[in-house]
Amino acid sequence: MSMKDEPIEEVGEGYIRPDSWWYRVYVLVIAWTIVVITALWFLSRYFSAISVN
Amino acid sequence: MVPFAVLFRNLRKLMKTLDWAVVFIYLAYVTWDGVRMSRQSNSVDGYFLAGRSLPWWAVGLSVMATQLSAITLVGTTGQAYTDGMRFIQFYYGLPLAMVILCVTVVPFFYRANVFTAYEYLEKRFDVKVRALTSFFFLISRGLGVGTIISAPSIVLSIVFGWNLTLTVIVMGMSTTIYTVFGGVRAVTWIDVKQMFVIFFGLGVCFFVILSAFPAGVTFGDAINIAGALGKLETVNTSFDLQEKYTLWSGLIGGLFLMLGYFGCDQSQVQRFLTAKSVDEGRVSLLMSAFLKIPMQVFILLIGVLVFVFYQFQAPPIVFNAAEVTRAEQSAEFRAIETRFNEAHAERRVAAVGVADQVTVESRQTYIDADKKFNAVRQEAVKYVRDTGDKNFNDVNYVFPTFVLQNMPMGVIGLIIAAIFAAAMSSISAELNALATATTLDFYKRLYKPDATDAHFVVVGRISTFIWGIFACIVAFYATNLGSLIEVVNKFGSFFYGSLLGVFVLAFVVKRARARGAFFGLLFGIASVWVASHYTKIEFLWFNVIGCLVTVAFGYLISLTVRDNSTVQAPAE
Repeated sequence: MSMKDEPIEEVGEGYIRPDSWWYRVYVLVIAWTIVVITALWFLSRYFSAISVN
Repeated sequence: MVPFAVLFRNLRKLMKTLDWAVVFIYLAYVTWDGVRMSRQSNSVDGYFLAGRSLPWWAVGLSVMATQLSAITLVGTTGQAYTDGMRFIQFYYGLPLAMVILCVTVVPFFYRANVFTAYEYLEKRFDVKVRALTSFFFLISRGLGVGTIISAPSIVLSIVFGWNLTLTVIVMGMSTTIYTVFGGVRAVTWIDVKQMFVIFFGLGVCFFVILSAFPAGVTFGDAINIAGALGKLETVNTSFDLQEKYTLWSGLIGGLFLMLGYFGCDQSQVQRFLTAKSVDEGRVSLLMSAFLKIPMQVFILLIGVLVFVFYQFQAPPIVFNAAEVTRAEQSAEFRAIETRFNEAHAERRVAAVGVADQVTVESRQTYIDADKKFNAVRQEAVKYVRDTGDKNFNDVNYVFPTFVLQNMPMGVIGLIIAAIFAAAMSSISAELNALATATTLDFYKRLYKPDATDAHFVVVGRISTFIWGIFACIVAFYATNLGSLIEVVNKFGSFFYGSLLGVFVLAFVVKRARARGAFFGLLFGIASVWVASHYTKIEFLWFNVIGCLVTVAFGYLISLTVRDNSTVQAPAE
């Protein structure tokens, strides 16, 4: 990675994505969290009560 | 021919030298790296906000590095060893908190063009609210940063036999030096490198543990063994408020805690204010939302694998070697040790049985053997507590002791460097934030508003240095007073929920006025104090209580204020 000083860029509206784009990202974050927690729950249940031979 | 004993001794010497070399090179590099960035930090904007020029991925890694302190690293792995993975529930509220912050706090702070979170409160309320919130931040974080230094220093000095004072000074002052010179730019870029050191170290550790299992025991077997004892439990749906880690305490209490920590604590707010734009600030927080839970699962999994490793190798009866040496003077403790070794041998046979074939019988035999083993271990821990430190907690010694006794040449040094990196990344962010609040919320705002940029940078550097010295002094005291750590942690939880309440008043409650916010905060902190002293509610819920009381009292008191002509709307 470059450790050189980055030029300071103006904070302009051009850098701001529309709210609708961000709402889709937020929904993705929440969906990802639900998937991760559910997967962890499923795995812990599976391994604590794993089917025996 | 060289006798084997001499060869072995020379090899041990070489190992120690190599480990020391890795640690020394790491410390020298980060200090030099921070100092060389000083020339890019000669203005207020450059020193405190890196000219708002940093890319999202660097800020995002810095956010995660700041939160991941050394005691989190060694404590979390130790916690997984003793208690399994249930601690992960602590982080379940984090992703939602990040989304809420991206919608509210990030654009508000960024567009208000503030340097500190508390500066925003002056724009919304008045200077008294700004000064009070900043004051609480300085008190709680000033003491907290001492603990961040002292807790890993105690562990490292006991496990590795280092001088405690020297460990505190090396950890505290090397961080102070690069933070003084490089400002927030050095803090962030070094955080990025420290995250790589931490995860490279943990990755190596992960594979070394797997390779240390007996022949025929695979990763899958290890997971089966841990699962059989409930070590993989990651969701507890109990509604008991006295249970520390549940799905609900994580989702609700954790949500409030994370909102308070990432949205109202200057050490985190300052991270995303250095981003190039609002969007990059948002992405830097969302990086944690995506990666934090998987990252913590990985760290906890290492603790679980250490647990499985010790199913086949005899673990220390108590991981704090100094306490064992003291306790072994007594015949009673030696008798416990004998029974401990017998219980371990029995459990080892049972674990091999589960690894060979999972049957109802093999699982039950193993569970019974583990119960017997734990009963003897608890007896030993109780003996240590009864005859020595009443607050003795073995959890933090598990991982460093495991590393010292089982890691190969060079890897010990790498893991020590990773522990240092975790500590230093948190300390540097705290020192930088403390200096920013001191310089801008108090010195500039109340004492010398018209000084030059260069003057404030000098004041910022002096403040950083003084806070670094203060943190080391607190660390020395914290090493002698075990309960101080608990006091500081409790004080921190008083702070977050109540402070979050003030920001909720600022952002959400249009009718909120300065007087309401000021006294609401005091009521919030008082309510958490009452809850902590007169109930058995677990600490994550304090954040909910503090926030709700602050908002409720803040609103009610605001209703008593007649003149609302001076109220400003939230900056947008």
